[in-house]
Amino acid sequence: MAADPSSDPLSPLLQRLLSGVPLLAESPTHVLEVVGVLESYGEVLDAYSRNLIYQGEQQFLNPFPVFRFFNGELNWERLWRHLNHDRINFEYAEYCQKAMLWHGTGGLDAFLESGRFAGICQQVARLKRRHDPLLGLLSGLFPQFLPELIRSAATTHALGQFWRVMSDLFLDLALAHREGRITSIADVVEFVKTGLVAAAGLPIRYAVQLHGATVAILPEDAQLTFLMDVAVPYVEAVFLRGMPFLGTLSFNAQATQIPHDQGQFGYGALFADPLPTMGAGIPPSLLMQDMYRHLPAHLEAAYRSQGRGVVDIHVKICMSFQKAMFCVTNGAINGTMPHPLDDPDPRRQSANRDHCMGWLERLRQAQLTALVASGPERIRTPGHH
Amino acid sequence: MIAAAPSILSLVLLTPFLGALGLTLLPGASPVWLRRLSLAVLTAQLLLMVAVLFRFDPARGQMQLLEQASWLGALGLDYRLGVDGLSLPLLLINGILSLVAVAISPLTTPRPRSYFPLLLLISGAVNGAFLAQNLLLFFLFYELELIPLWLLIAIWGGRRRAYAATKFLIFTAVSGVLILVGFLGLALATGSLDFSINPVLSQQLGLGTQLLLMGALLVGFGIKIPLFPFHSWLPDAHTEASTPISVLLAGVLLKLGTYGLLRFCLSLFPQAWGLLSPGLAGWAAVSVLFGSLAAIAQTDMKRMVAYSSVGHMGYVLLAAAAATPVSLLGSLLQMLAHGLISGLMFLLVGVIYQATGTRDLTVLRGLLNPQRGLPLTGGLMILAAMASAGIPGMAGFVAELMVFRGSLLTFPLATLLSMVGSGLTAVYFLLLVNRAFFGRLATEPDGKPPALLPLAGLARQAPAVVLAAGVVLVGLWPQGLTNLAVASTSALGQPASGAFTAVAMAGASQPAASDVLQKVLVHGG
Repeated sequence: MAADPSSDPLSPLLQRLLSGVPLLAESPTHVLEVVGVLESYGEVLDAYSRNLIYQGEQQFLNPFPVFRFFNGELNWERLWRHLNHDRINFEYAEYCQKAMLWHGTGGLDAFLESGRFAGICQQVARLKRRHDPLLGLLSGLFPQFLPELIRSAATTHALGQFWRVMSDLFLDLALAHREGRITSIADVVEFVKTGLVAAAGLPIRYAVQLHGATVAILPEDAQLTFLMDVAVPYVEAVFLRGMPFLGTLSFNAQATQIPHDQGQFGYGALFADPLPTMGAGIPPSLLMQDMYRHLPAHLEAAYRSQGRGVVDIHVKICMSFQKAMFCVTNGAINGTMPHPLDDPDPRRQSANRDHCMGWLERLRQAQLTALVASGPERIRTPGHH
Repeated sequence: MIAAAPSILSLVLLTPFLGALGLTLLPGASPVWLRRLSLAVLTAQLLLMVAVLFRFDPARGQMQLLEQASWLGALGLDYRLGVDGLSLPLLLINGILSLVAVAISPLTTPRPRSYFPLLLLISGAVNGAFLAQNLLLFFLFYELELIPLWLLIAIWGGRRRAYAATKFLIFTAVSGVLILVGFLGLALATGSLDFSINPVLSQQLGLGTQLLLMGALLVGFGIKIPLFPFHSWLPDAHTEASTPISVLLAGVLLKLGTYGLLRFCLSLFPQAWGLLSPGLAGWAAVSVLFGSLAAIAQTDMKRMVAYSSVGHMGYVLLAAAAATPVSLLGSLLQMLAHGLISGLMFLLVGVIYQATGTRDLTVLRGLLNPQRGLPLTGGLMILAAMASAGIPGMAGFVAELMVFRGSLLTFPLATLLSMVGSGLTAVYFLLLVNRAFFGRLATEPDGKPPALLPLAGLARQAPAVVLAAGVVLVGLWPQGLTNLAVASTSALGQPASGAFTAVAMAGASQPAASDVLQKVLVHGG
């Protein structure tokens, strides 16, 4: 704890949360950026979600999933567009899926490690032994091989279901903005919170057709739900701990730039360097490329008129995306608040405060500068030499 | 009055002077038009040089396209021009870099009606020095080039321009005086008061006289090159000079010194040269190592490139000291390669300075960032660094290989030490590239992201692309230059009187330059 709470940079943020004010500063530019970027993100998530669900259902245990990004549409034209990179970077979705698998938390991860799930894996292994000699052999030689593949497939499908909901939520948000129902950042946060709360209890289920039999990988009676079992682990993995946002910043463990508890090490979307190298294959650049394809016209026009125009548009998208993700996180914090903010009971107020501080402590090292309202970045005046 | 019928060399010589005069007299021309007209004049000059190239017969080692007119005969100052395989490539690089210097001169340059004519004057004076076939005429142009350069540093330079310009003037004035003393002494000693460049007469002088006269010229040109310990004016001049002037200074003007070394010291006094050559090779090695080590210690990009010039000019002295056919060809190639590479580097440093407002390597970071940095500039700087460090496929490699191959048998220790300098080139330029271009783009001192760097723009970087293409072209196809020069550079090492050379002294069997080049190109060294 800091000696002087008023000097703690988190104090103003805590006050904002407890008084129901959004973390991200209110400004018309922020509304334009956040709504526009979330609209394009919604479009991209739609594509990711469809592909992940396709992969989970149609590419299940495919030992050579070469055409897994084709969604079953395999023809020359599609192949050419793929090779010509005229396509969505589904690799980014895979990065996020791997992050969720590796930083497994919450109900989904608990279920994937349970005896019940091991039984399901054995059922799949039996079916495979009978019909698929390669996987049958591998499963016999390496007993953990098949369960790991199935865990991966289950995470893939669950993430696909999560993004389905989020995609619809973000596209609805854009529609609400167009209809004039959203005019401020507070409206955005409230919209996201309401959407998350409404979807909180949605069941997460996953079943595959395997050699004529239907196998429930994530069965209904496992009672996995949208918010606590997938959404919160997703936020933990992708926003906070983060693997998919590898960038150019490096951390020195000896200089204690990495916490002793590695679970506290954050380099997710909220921590990401807004100025990545944009090198090929570096995940943030993949997402930014995808969002650029679906950028609403008014936001693209705004970006083109600022800074270096189209040259650094991916960086500008990344910066706006970070603001938008703070709004989503804000919505999640508000949505999971233990008690109403206007509850007069001091114990409940204290519980709310602890809840908010718990989140904010996680964000201490995040890109909090993104929360401040600022005008368009200025170009340095060239020197006279 | 001009005797030779097709007076193309005179046209080359006169074009920039007439251009400068015209621009000065032109009333009310805007900076845009002044630059356009300067470009037109220098394009015409370059085309005339290309015409010279077509008339030139590379198979002959002697002076060609000679033009002569009596001028101030009583003073021994005659108008005699000629070109050989040594001066023609240098003439061409002057033409190219002068064009580049004008092309990159910003339109916001104050006093453009003085600035552009002065640039043309420099170009013309350098042409004159390379073409002059009379000692006094050479000296006239050698000195003439100082005045516009001094003005260009003193008026259009940086914060400490007065200091740098004065230092430059003092050093080069001393250089001029020594050269004049050398030339006058030579004329008096040989009795040849027409100041003609006549190796036959100078080689008949006593060894003591030769040593004395050559010593004066050696120090004079050593200041201009510059060699350690006469180098201290160069980093200051570069630091304070604007980018176009730095390009000219590094690319062309330093070459007047190395040209003088070969044309006057080596070819006029081969006996004295042979005697001093072991010491000269040692001097070269010290200069190479000093320049390289000093470059490592720099944090200003311009000073680093300037010190690298001190080191790289040392190779030319080493090659000249060895005076084998291969090394002499190598020395010319090194002059040309250095002209292209250092010109390119100063140009790129100028782009970086304009965009970021600093050349400080402790501040600059991550400029290779493709969206917020200066990726093309960074890429070209990496190419220039590789070329300077002698990576195969680029101009620096062919030049350094020929210098080292040609000098190794004659002066093994000095050559090996110079090779260490070549390795150190990679050290300091990788430091530069690593600090300024790799990593994350720098943040402001308070941790905020920096203000956006302005885009460098393709038009402003086009000259750099042209120079980079030249660096690669010379690296991949050095025959284009070597075929032009080999007969003349070989003749430099074979004195008119048949006096001994370092080659003869070393008693080593030296391969012909063309053979070595052939092997280099076939086997990649």
